[in-house]
Amino acid sequence: MSVRILGLTAVLGALALPALANAQTDRLTGRLDERTRAAVTGIVDSVRGAGVPADPLVNKALEGASKGADGARIVAAVRALAADLGRARAALGARSTEPELVAGAAALRAGASPAFLARLRGDYPREALVVPLAVMADLVARGVPADTAAQAVLALVQAGVREADLVAFRQSVERDIALGAPAGAAAAVRATAGDLATAGVPSTLGQTPPPPRPRKP
Amino acid sequence: MHGSAEDPLVARIVAELRRPPPAHPDFDARVMAAVRRAPPSLPARTWTWLREPRTLAVSPLSGLAVAAGLAALFIVGGWAAARSGAAGRTARMAAAPAAERDAQTLVTFVFMAPGAQSVALAGDFDGWDRARMPMRRDASGLWTLDVPLPPGRYQYAFVVDGRRFVPDPAAPRAVGDDFGQPTSVVTVAGGAPRAVGGSL
Repeated sequence: MSVRILGLTAVLGALALPALANAQTDRLTGRLDERTRAAVTGIVDSVRGAGVPADPLVNKALEGASKGADGARIVAAVRALAADLGRARAALGARSTEPELVAGAAALRAGASPAFLARLRGDYPREALVVPLAVMADLVARGVPADTAAQAVLALVQAGVREADLVAFRQSVERDIALGAPAGAAAAVRATAGDLATAGVPSTLGQTPPPPRPRKP
Repeated sequence: MHGSAEDPLVARIVAELRRPPPAHPDFDARVMAAVRRAPPSLPARTWTWLREPRTLAVSPLSGLAVAAGLAALFIVGGWAAARSGAAGRTARMAAAPAAERDAQTLVTFVFMAPGAQSVALAGDFDGWDRARMPMRRDASGLWTLDVPLPPGRYQYAFVVDGRRFVPDPAAPRAVGDDFGQPTSVVTVAGGAPRAVGGSL
């Protein structure tokens, strides 16, 4: 009898899952036309099983709706983001958080290689990688070559720089670029150990150095 | 009188005293029998009871009722979880426990637009709603808004006069332009409050 109970429960639970999925995409109701909403919901449902979070996909659809994009463009953008998030998850691992996947997807879109993401995760399996990945993507957005940005971020993380100082480093590079420095050179120079004190990170490396971030043995 | 270890008499006395007293031939057997007769402790009995198989007789109607109850719990729980998630990132922030809220950073968005009638903030943190996060204007035409954000990377833009999306000139642009209107990016690390923004 217990087997029958479990079976019946499983059947009813399976029947309830679509309702659950629909509820998670409720935010799309009223913001998208029915056809686009159905297509976006289909993408969300199809990648949910692979561990891709729904929120960033829904946000992307809402961004398109708010900006008046047509349905086909919204669906294409959501599909592309779903692919990027999936690649980020494959590189960063199944235990990665949603913000890490969002930042990882942005880094991949900026030109970072999946190997860079995997190396970062491999070196720091228990560290939050949101800020390093986001800074890498932001540097590329400012014109820094992807390889240079990846190497700079990796060097700073290995040097034990704090998250806030990584952001400060990016701002320093942006200032240099605004003053006319070549983007790649600005990032490379700022990331060298000798220049960390002038790269906007003196509070940690110059005065009270933090313990090095733990690395995988 | 003082004895010593070399004294044979003392040595014999010591040896005699150290000899174990004679025990009854069936002493060991009686002790073990007594141990076996003692009742097991409560944890041991509980563990044994839990491990013994049981046969549970349930009528079809009762089984159906139990299954329906479990399914109802599953549906209601899932629906409640989905509703809390459906409200978006901002709503989750409001419902987060104190420790999580403490981890948020107050980000001040700043935008200089003296000629604008209204400016609002739209981004990943508010479902890209054009009107949900209006900014406040001062006499100089500086629009500001404080938003608590957990660490992460967020895309956003300023909505000028309710219709025009303007990227933040002081912030990095998002790579890739999905909808023909560039967006800005703010990366939030844990720590002190910070200000981002530029002018129109």
